[in-house]
Amino acid sequence: MSELTGIIVSKDPEIRNRSLEQFCSAASAATLLEECRSLDLFRRSSENLYERVRAQFFLYAIHRFYLPVKEGMQRTGLIPFAANANILKRRFEEGIQILLTAQASQGANAALSSALAAAYHGLAFQTLADQVRQSVRSVRGNQWMSRIGHPADYPLAIRPELLTKGSTGLYPILRETTPVRMDLSHSGWSDIFFLGMDFPEGARVLNASIDLAVRGSGEGSPQPPVEAYLRVIEEPVLRLTSVDLGGMADISSFAEIFDFARDYLGLLKAAVIASGMVPPAMEGCSEPLSDLLARLVGRGMGIEIVSRVRDIPKGSRLAVSTNLLACLISACMRATNQIHALTGTLGEEDRRLVAARAILGEWLGGSGGGWQDSGGVWPGIKLIEGVNATEGDPEFGVSRGRLLPVHHVLSEDEISSETRQRLQASLVLVHGGMAQDVGPILEMVTEKYLLRSEAEWNGRKQAISLLDEVVADLRSGDVRALGSATERNFFGPIQTVIPWASNLYTETLIDRVRSEMGDDFWGFWMLGGMSGGGMGFIFDPRSKSRAQDRLQAIMTETKERLETAVAFAMQPVVYDFAINQKGTSAELLTGDSALMPRGYYDLAVPALLRIEPRLLQPARRAELDRFGAACRTAPELAGMMQGLFERLLPQAAEDTSGKAQPLKVLLEQFGFDPAQHDQIRADMCNGRIGLAQNRLPVTTGIQDARTGDLLDATASITDSRFARIGLDALKAGEIAVVSLAGGAGTRWTKGAGVVKALNPFCRLGGRHRNFVETHLAKSRRTGRATGTLVPHVLTTSYLTHEPVRKWLDSVDGYNYPGPLLLSQGKSIGLRLVPTARDLRFAWEEMPSQILDEQKQKLRESLHGALINWAREAGEGTDYTDNLPMQCLHPTGHWYEVPNMLRNGVLRELLEQRPQLRHVMVHNIDTMGAWLDPSIVGLHIDRGAAMTAEVIARQIDDRGGGLARINGRLRIIEGLALPSEESESGLSYYNSNTIWMDIDLLLGAFSLDRRDLDDEAKVASAVRNVAARMPTYITIKDVKKRWGKGQEDIFPVAQFEKLWGDMTALPEIDCAFMAVPRVRGQQLKEPAQLDGWLRDGSAAHVNSLCDWE
Amino acid sequence: MNIHKAVITAAGRNQRALPLQTLVDRDGNEKSVLRIIIEEVLTAQIDEICVVVSPGDEAAYARAVGTSESMVRFIEQLEPLGYGQALYCARKFVGHEPFLHLVGDHLHVSHTGTGCAQQLVRVATEEKCAISAVQATRENVIQHYGTVSGPKISDRENLYRIENVIEKPTPTEAEQRLIVAGMRAGHYLCFFGMHVFTPAIFDLLAGNDSLSNALAELAKQERYLALHTRNRRYDVGVKYGLLRAQLALALSGRDRDEVLSQMIEVLASSNGSRA
Repeated sequence: MSELTGIIVSKDPEIRNRSLEQFCSAASAATLLEECRSLDLFRRSSENLYERVRAQFFLYAIHRFYLPVKEGMQRTGLIPFAANANILKRRFEEGIQILLTAQASQGANAALSSALAAAYHGLAFQTLADQVRQSVRSVRGNQWMSRIGHPADYPLAIRPELLTKGSTGLYPILRETTPVRMDLSHSGWSDIFFLGMDFPEGARVLNASIDLAVRGSGEGSPQPPVEAYLRVIEEPVLRLTSVDLGGMADISSFAEIFDFARDYLGLLKAAVIASGMVPPAMEGCSEPLSDLLARLVGRGMGIEIVSRVRDIPKGSRLAVSTNLLACLISACMRATNQIHALTGTLGEEDRRLVAARAILGEWLGGSGGGWQDSGGVWPGIKLIEGVNATEGDPEFGVSRGRLLPVHHVLSEDEISSETRQRLQASLVLVHGGMAQDVGPILEMVTEKYLLRSEAEWNGRKQAISLLDEVVADLRSGDVRALGSATERNFFGPIQTVIPWASNLYTETLIDRVRSEMGDDFWGFWMLGGMSGGGMGFIFDPRSKSRAQDRLQAIMTETKERLETAVAFAMQPVVYDFAINQKGTSAELLTGDSALMPRGYYDLAVPALLRIEPRLLQPARRAELDRFGAACRTAPELAGMMQGLFERLLPQAAEDTSGKAQPLKVLLEQFGFDPAQHDQIRADMCNGRIGLAQNRLPVTTGIQDARTGDLLDATASITDSRFARIGLDALKAGEIAVVSLAGGAGTRWTKGAGVVKALNPFCRLGGRHRNFVETHLAKSRRTGRATGTLVPHVLTTSYLTHEPVRKWLDSVDGYNYPGPLLLSQGKSIGLRLVPTARDLRFAWEEMPSQILDEQKQKLRESLHGALINWAREAGEGTDYTDNLPMQCLHPTGHWYEVPNMLRNGVLRELLEQRPQLRHVMVHNIDTMGAWLDPSIVGLHIDRGAAMTAEVIARQIDDRGGGLARINGRLRIIEGLALPSEESESGLSYYNSNTIWMDIDLLLGAFSLDRRDLDDEAKVASAVRNVAARMPTYITIKDVKKRWGKGQEDIFPVAQFEKLWGDMTALPEIDCAFMAVPRVRGQQLKEPAQLDGWLRDGSAAHVNSLCDWE
Repeated sequence: MNIHKAVITAAGRNQRALPLQTLVDRDGNEKSVLRIIIEEVLTAQIDEICVVVSPGDEAAYARAVGTSESMVRFIEQLEPLGYGQALYCARKFVGHEPFLHLVGDHLHVSHTGTGCAQQLVRVATEEKCAISAVQATRENVIQHYGTVSGPKISDRENLYRIENVIEKPTPTEAEQRLIVAGMRAGHYLCFFGMHVFTPAIFDLLAGNDSLSNALAELAKQERYLALHTRNRRYDVGVKYGLLRAQLALALSGRDRDEVLSQMIEVLASSNGSRA
């Protein structure tokens, strides 16, 4: 048996918990390859789920982190297109088979290892997700729902109490209210299902159910934040309303119910399905929904369900959406007699059933938190713990633990009411305003757990013992000690397991609070998946009020300072909260009280008022009568009529002018070219340009680069001649750096419109650093090493110029000693509503990662909705329905170099440094790019106008590369390749770091240094070259924020020109240089950060920097 | 255990007319539903029958009984207080003896030569305890029936020891509490409308509104079995229930071929008219 297989199957925890790292660091490439062969055989034959999954994670980690850097491994290789296609389609087993065959023929290499790592990673998560899904379905009480697929078989009936109209003519309303849950311990994300099912003894969470009110909102005392309303209606439809999202729909077909992304009612739909009211097996049923409703309520009758969240923003880390789901499910199950108590609180058995259904609902809705998230269903403070699976459990023999944990509600004997009061008096709950996607973090946690990396495993064990400390502090009533424990947890184990749980914003808040509140600040408390959203700060109770005021001010100020660099979804808020001792609870509103919440009538009444009264259903008419009366008497409906009037007669004119004016001003200010814009629009609408037209003809000859085509700098350059040339040039001041910082970093923040260059992406040299600071630190180090300061230029765009300028002013340019210049962008585009044709091409023709089954359904439903949006908004029309800055776009990095010619920056630079001859231009996210003397020397020695750096392609490197196109070696953009398959034949990927000989480049523009004074000549030269560059249409995501932290993402069309196409111009002499991956790789998505940190890349970059 | 008394409940407000409906039995004779039920009871060697009726119904029911009038007594349920209370009305009639119980709106058709009641009484006599006939029922209709669960008795075919009784459960509840080992997925043991009870049931009914709750208690107090029967029951109170019951009787009786050929004629002509 191989050593790693032995670790996996060992019954001895000492051996089973041994880390992979211990073994792999010392092993040779040959040993690792042999281990991979054994592990692959083992994972195919083992019947135990967790043995299989752990073997898959071991294989992933060996290929991702250890094999590629081992002595003797080939760096380049070709990933077969079929393997890539299978991985994208989630056919991981087939992908792995093709890759292993390729490995046998090509020999092991880094490219194939990168693809194998991706395939094993995907397979491991698919295996785990499948198991959780199967466990959720097999929970007793859930199974029948996957067997009932036709209305004729439908077994549920509405409770008679809900069918009895009162004397007012109104049907009673079942109103369910539910608290949200606050994680009191954060035991290392141990409530992730995969962890709880493998390591039940370590899956422990302490959580409290709480009521909330936003401080200063005038809402009064804290209330359960989520509510569901359910009643019978006299129409054969399912009427769903989300009061807080403003969505309302009458649903009459099964297809609509299962179409989650069609509107804002996905959560309600998931609840209706998970509650069994419309069982999941009804998906695809072609009978009318009214047939089911006839059995449920009666012929011609229907159900209305309304959800409401009381002003709690998204991303609160309080599991608002899971508890709302549970609240809705509970109401539906009460109404259909699946829970015996129609009103009041729930018994333990019913709570567990609701929690199991909520997990099912989360899976249906494509989300998925941990098992503690539905904690609001339970009352008070409870210890939730994983349980070993025993005979009779569906999990027995499959996993060590059960899917569902046990909840122990702590009694007042265990945590006294005084302690509960003291906790309420000390804890300040806030929402910091950031709304982040915690999905990648949960994946990282699972992966690290299964790999048992030493530091992280020790961190997990520490987190478990800290939970005991937190419980002990609560039992003894020592809130100060509790604050100390939660803060140690945050700065210790939590960040050891996941460094990305913290960020600059959170740490700035903690520092400022500590400096202002001194000893009265007892500790920080992280809630949920990551910090920046919902957070807790514990204070001496005597200072709580002041602390609440100061926290609001500190958060607001810090957000204002950071908001161009960090994505915020909303203004920070402070909450008032109270521990809820009931858990979820329901009441029956009858007679005059049978009214929906206020916001419901804002949505429903305008439409009802447009219907002739005689055509209204009697129950609707009775409701309007009662609502009218209540508006005059009920204080909670005060001002309702005024609001309704405004909705009926919206002030459209004022709204639109308010938005259009600044956009127009911005366009003028940034030099928008309306003629070019109209031409692009016309070309796009006529099909002359578009995603399909970006591509070169299929007859284009495309070949991979040949040996000898490239300068090789992949290993250390032994010829000291080049280092000497480079060093001489650096000492002579002949070299400058240009960092391209004009982009919005769409993929980095999913279109949030913040400046990527300023994003504090990682902790380096002891604190969080942004991209600009890191690049300057490298130039500072080179300057110090050579004795000549390096000029550093940051190119900017309309979006980034002012934020970068202000930021640099605020930090004194990071005390960068050399010339530091900003090159302001001079070109701008106005985004367009894309054509349905391009959207279809992007989503249906271009390769994209197929998601997990349910998530993929959701994505396809969303795509359908967005294509409809594009048609309704007008294909090719200007995209103006957003903040003005979100409607504009940079026009691609081709313009950034010519901008330096046009805006005088190059001239200024040359005036300061007449000896300047070469510049290194690089992307803001190419962290390893630096002025390595040997590489400088290679470029100078070769004497080309441009030397482009390329890296050996790996699986994530998509978007073109180095190719011989019709015989000429050049950089080719992925957009332009005639097919996806052609990219898989290219060994090298474009790092977009390009060395330029200033004079030769000016020559290519038909200019020389003296011409830089002649604006007209420069402008004309730039225009002439621009005209020879292809214009690409691209689809980008743009966020539109609304409501309380809600965000919609829209696809928009924009155009761009890219610098790599300059290598296609025959008059420019171009050279190409292969560089190490650690130098050329780019950070495009935050999900890459963890691997980047773990594979040594971050440490390498840190070693290139002088921070002070 | 000697069983010679039977109680038939027919006092339900919506079922008062059902036992009076006329059907053609397996031998081709026209009979009231009540008479067919009584004849079923008589196959089990019962010689005293009590029918619980609503006030004022006795005369009509007496006429429907047919030739066994001398064996039948009527007891009125004075107030419509439910099924359990209707049965409770027969406590004096029953006295301290075990008894057979049937409902007045169900007909039972045996697939063997032995009557359904006869089979049940025979097993009850052997086992000397309360026993209910049950039938495997799919989860989509269990919300209409009392449902039981419990382990199978070893070495006894089709006999279960009842541990849990729930009246009209949802599938959710059934899956949590009523799964019986060996049953097909999604199938549960539901009452067949025919029981043998010990007199202890009356003490339990005194404190319970519902018969199912009383039976759940009975299961805790004494040995209470379920006989899984393959016979068929027909609820004449549901839509087309009477028609289905009639067809079942006819197709299991003497006139089977004639009824079948008439049905085919009807089918053919209805298809023709639709075309």
